[in-house]
Amino acid sequence: MYLLHLAIKSLANRRFSAILTVLAIALSVTLLLAVEKVRTEARASFTSTIAGTDLVVGARSGSVQLLLYSVFRIGNATNNIRWDSYQKVANHPRVEWAIPISLGDSHRGFRVMGTNALYFEHYRYGRDQTLELALGALPGDLYDAVLGADVARELGYDLDTEMVLAHGTGAVSFVDHGDKPFRVRGILNKTGTPVDRTIHISLEGMEALHVDWQQGMPARGAAAISAEQARQMDLTPKAITAVLLGLTSPIATFSVQREINQYTGEPLQAILPGVALQELWSLLGVAEKALFIVSLFVVLTGLVGMLTAILSSLNERRREMAILRSVGARPQHVFSLLLLEAASLALAGILLGLGLMYLGLWLARPLILSHYGLFIAITPPGVYEWQLLGAILGASILMGSVPAWRAYRQSLADGLSIRT
Amino acid sequence: MPSPLIQLDDVHFAWPGQPQLLDIASFTLDRGERVFLKGPSGSGKTTLLGLLGGVLLPGNGSIRVLETDLPSLSASARDRFRADHTGYIFQMFNLLPYLSVVENVTLPCRFSPLRRGRALAHNDSLEQCATGLLAGLGLSDPALLRRSVNELSIGQQQRVAAARALIGSPELVIADEPTSALDADSREAFLRLLFAECERGGSSLLFVSHDSSLEPLFDRALSLGELNRAAPTAEVL
Repeated sequence: MYLLHLAIKSLANRRFSAILTVLAIALSVTLLLAVEKVRTEARASFTSTIAGTDLVVGARSGSVQLLLYSVFRIGNATNNIRWDSYQKVANHPRVEWAIPISLGDSHRGFRVMGTNALYFEHYRYGRDQTLELALGALPGDLYDAVLGADVARELGYDLDTEMVLAHGTGAVSFVDHGDKPFRVRGILNKTGTPVDRTIHISLEGMEALHVDWQQGMPARGAAAISAEQARQMDLTPKAITAVLLGLTSPIATFSVQREINQYTGEPLQAILPGVALQELWSLLGVAEKALFIVSLFVVLTGLVGMLTAILSSLNERRREMAILRSVGARPQHVFSLLLLEAASLALAGILLGLGLMYLGLWLARPLILSHYGLFIAITPPGVYEWQLLGAILGASILMGSVPAWRAYRQSLADGLSIRT
Repeated sequence: MPSPLIQLDDVHFAWPGQPQLLDIASFTLDRGERVFLKGPSGSGKTTLLGLLGGVLLPGNGSIRVLETDLPSLSASARDRFRADHTGYIFQMFNLLPYLSVVENVTLPCRFSPLRRGRALAHNDSLEQCATGLLAGLGLSDPALLRRSVNELSIGQQQRVAAARALIGSPELVIADEPTSALDADSREAFLRLLFAECERGGSSLLFVSHDSSLEPLFDRALSLGELNRAAPTAEVL
C-alpha cells in the first residue's frame, strides 16, 4: 500500500508529463469505447427501429437504400409507387395490413411523412411496442399533424401550434407551403427511433399541399388552390413513396415478396427488413472492423507514449531509487513501484477516458440522432467494454514491466551509490 | 566484553576485470563507537560501504555485522538486514522531493517492521517519533516541517537525512561525506547534534570523509589508505 502512495506521489511530482500521458491514454480509450459504443448502439438502434413489418415495398432500387429512406428517413426515394399499385398490393389475400408512406416534405429540418391510421395501429418498434400518443389525438382534419416527441421538444411546439411545411427535405428550403398551414393535433411518446423526429400528416393532407403544383413548382395567381378549396377536391394520392406490409402469416413472406418483385404494372421491389439490415451490416462491417483496429492501434500508441515517458524518466530517477534502496527498499520494491506507476497512469487514463466518452456521447447524442437517425442509449459499460478496459490495463502493466525491469537491474547495479 | 558491531577479516574485493581494489586484513567497529574513516575519492570508500551494506559481496573474507555473516545471507535477506540495522546519510540530496519532511524521515519504518516497532515503542505515532528526532536535530519549527524539502537549506536537508537514518534506532549509522556541502561552522554543529542523537539511540557511527579537520571529534580515526593493503598508491593525493 505504501508503495502505491509513493508511486502516486512520485507521479504527482512529475505531474506535467504524467498528465500528458494520462490524457493520451484517456483519449485513445475514449476513441476505442466510442467506436465500440456507436457500433453496438447503431446495430441495436437500427434493429429496434422496425418490428412486426414483414416486407417493405418501394420503387426498384437497392434494398439498403429502400430500407434507409422508408424506415430511417435517410436519403431519398428514386421513384414513387403509383396509387393503383399500392391498392393491388394492399388487397393481396396474404396481406393483413399495408401502411402507405409518402415522403418528400419537411419542416425546419424534420421530415414530414404522409400516412394513414394504419400506421399508428400497426407500426411496431423495439420489442413489439406500439406508437402511443403523449398528448392530443391522431390526425382527424385534413391539416392536422402528429409530432414525434423530439420534434415537439426541440421546436417547442404544443398542441394547436400552427406550422408551415416546406417542400423538399433540406434543413433550409426555398419553397414552402405557406398557403396551407398545419395544426399540431397530437404528440407521440418518445420511442428512441426516427419516429421521434418525424411529423406525421395524412396522405390526403400531403396531396392537398401539392394539388396545385405543376412541374415541381407551386402554382401562381389564378391557378393556385386555397386550403379551403382543396378540401372540396378528390385528394386520393396519385403516388406514394413506400409501403410497409404485414402479412397474414410469416410463411407467406417469400411468395409475396416474389410476386411483388415480378409485378408487371411498374418496377417494384419488396425487401425483408431483417435481411436488408444484415446487408447493411455486411457493408458496414469492413468499415467497423477497420475503425476498431485503428482505435486499437491508437490505444497502443497511448501506451507506448506511457512507456516512453517512464523509460525516459528512469535515468534522472536513479537518485530516487538509490535513496529508496538506502532506506530499506529491496530491488523488488523498486520493480513494484515502477509497475504501480504504469498501472496508476493507465487506470487514471482509462477512468478519464470513460468519463470523456460519456461526456462526448451526451453532447453528441442529439447531433447523431438528428443527422443519422440513430438513438444512442447512455448505458453503463457492458461486459465486453469492461473486458476491453481490463485488457488495456493488462497491456499497460505488461508494458510497465519493461521500465520496471530496467529500474530493477539499475538498482541492483547502483546499489546505494547515487549516480546521476 | 561484547562482540564488535562490525568485524571484517581478510576481505578482498575487485570489480570484474579490474585489479584488486580492497584488501582489508581486519577492521572492527564497536557498539556505540564513533569512528572517523578517512579516504580520498577513488580509494574504495564507496565500495567498502557497499560491502558493509550488503549490496556488494567480497571475493573472499568474512564481513560480520551484529554477529551475522553478511555474505552467507541471500540477497533479499541482506537487503532486509540492512533495512533493519543500518541508517544512511549521503553527501547531499538525500531526500525524496515529493515527500514531506516528516514522510521522508519515517521512510525507513515503511520498509523495516523492526525499526517501525522500535520507533513506536516510545512514541504514539511515527510522525511523533519523526518530529521528536527533528527537534533533537534542531528542526522544531512546525512551519519548516510543512515546507517542501526542496525549500530547505542544505544544512537543514542533511539534518532531515540524519533524522531518517536515526529513526527506529538502527545499530549502525553510516554517513558518507554528509558534511562536505556544509560550511565549517555548520559542520561541527551538525556533528554534535548527530553525535547526541546517535548516543540517545545507541547507534554506532561510521563517518566517512576526506576532511581530516573533523577527526578530533571522534572516538577513533582510521585511514582507508592504511587499512587497505591494496591501496592504489598512485592515486594518493
